[in-house]
Amino acid sequence: MNPPAASTGTLTSLSNDLADAVARASTWIVAIHARRRIPSSGIVWQPGVIVTANHTVSRDEEIGLTLPDGSSAPATLAGRDPATDIAVLRTDAKLAAADRADPDHLQVGRLVLAVGRPGPEVTATLGIVSAVGGEWRTWHGGRIDRFIRLDLSIYDGFSGGALVEAGGRVLGLNTSGLARAMALALPQSTVQRVTDELLQRGRVARGYLGVAMQPVRLPRAMRQKLELNGAVGLVIVNLETGGPAERAGLLLGDLIIGIEGHDVSDPSDLLRYLGSDSVGRRVNLSIIRAGEIRTVGIEIGERPSPRSDAS
Amino acid sequence: MIAPELLPSAPGLTADLGALAHQLRQITVKVKTHGVGDGSGVIWSEAGLIVSNAHVAQSESLSIELSDGRSFAGRLLRRDPESDLALLTIATGELTPAVLGEPASLRPGELVFALGHPFGMSNVLSLGAVYDRIKSRSEREWIRADIRLAPGNSGGPLANAAGAVIGLNTLVAGGLAYAIPVTAICRFLQQRGKRAA
Repeated sequence: MNPPAASTGTLTSLSNDLADAVARASTWIVAIHARRRIPSSGIVWQPGVIVTANHTVSRDEEIGLTLPDGSSAPATLAGRDPATDIAVLRTDAKLAAADRADPDHLQVGRLVLAVGRPGPEVTATLGIVSAVGGEWRTWHGGRIDRFIRLDLSIYDGFSGGALVEAGGRVLGLNTSGLARAMALALPQSTVQRVTDELLQRGRVARGYLGVAMQPVRLPRAMRQKLELNGAVGLVIVNLETGGPAERAGLLLGDLIIGIEGHDVSDPSDLLRYLGSDSVGRRVNLSIIRAGEIRTVGIEIGERPSPRSDAS
Repeated sequence: MIAPELLPSAPGLTADLGALAHQLRQITVKVKTHGVGDGSGVIWSEAGLIVSNAHVAQSESLSIELSDGRSFAGRLLRRDPESDLALLTIATGELTPAVLGEPASLRPGELVFALGHPFGMSNVLSLGAVYDRIKSRSEREWIRADIRLAPGNSGGPLANAAGAVIGLNTLVAGGLAYAIPVTAICRFLQQRGKRAA
């Protein structure tokens, strides 16, 4: 070894800590061969269970893994949830599971590493947590418990890899499949919830009404006459044939103004009532038809799964 | 503005970064090519040997600017486009040469620093991390780093947290910086020695 060039003890020890964190994470990061081109990354989430980004798993069978020791092992698809971009695989390979970080460590400004295995070797990038927000929904309606935006680079093959704190414990799962040109991570709690559901049922059920809606401003005269609080309603612009809304007697042009007694002004206000435990439940919608307020009972159906090849 | 007393204190880290920047400035030169754009170079010996990229040292007439502002005519001793390395010399002594690190012991996630003159801006320090080490199909070795570099960084040092040079920044592909490990540079210099003998 050469003598140090500059007296930089603190910096050197930080650098060693970061490399140690990657080395620690590398024991539970695998490469996943389930698409053409380069492999993606996966996290050993619990014994025999690997989580990854769904958009990188383009086939349901003949899925291979490259393990931390360089050997190969087969894996089977336990289930996929395109809405949250999580896929769960099972393997017989004996692998240590990821150490979970304290979720309180998810703070803006924390040094973090993205650790992936886009080939035989583990690779890493460095950055910081740049924003942490509350619950949000993906464009397919998947519920993500916290918004985690990162100032770091996610290179090819990094999707499905781990967001790791400086101690080498997992904070979340990295994916480029939910936002363009922005590095995002899915928090541990969301990965756990979706994984549990996929292992139990092979899919994540989502409530569904079978309507397409468009927010419209309600005329003042109508609001005054009907004594409405909200200024916006959702006009039904499409009804799925045989879907829950059509079966309940809803018509094109009906204006939805409330669900279970709460005002709605945006389709996302309805999504809140359509979680995985909502399927089969009856809810009351308040609608305006022909200038009159009516209440329509509707039984929530299960959303057909979106095309799994959606990116 | 945030009052200074409210800022977290990390005096060790800040002082270390300052020392590292100072160290790298001393061993890095600007290679002015009168045409193809300026690049960087690393001082290899006290007696004026400088290593840079072949794609930087393309012209016979080069001027070499030290960090203290002094400028010298650079003489091209050897240039190898295949390995993209060039050896230059300037007629002066008592320079501060680079301390060399050990690329073989690099680990992913380790901090790395680059100093160079991206887009003509002088002495720009960049921070990043080791991504991996690879061998290309043509058996060329590279250190790949997650660090933001630009034209003008070429030929400049990639250093570890102790300020020891581990590679020569050479190209950017797919967002990653590619540096030639110092071990490969030493081989290039030994070949030259043989040839001269």
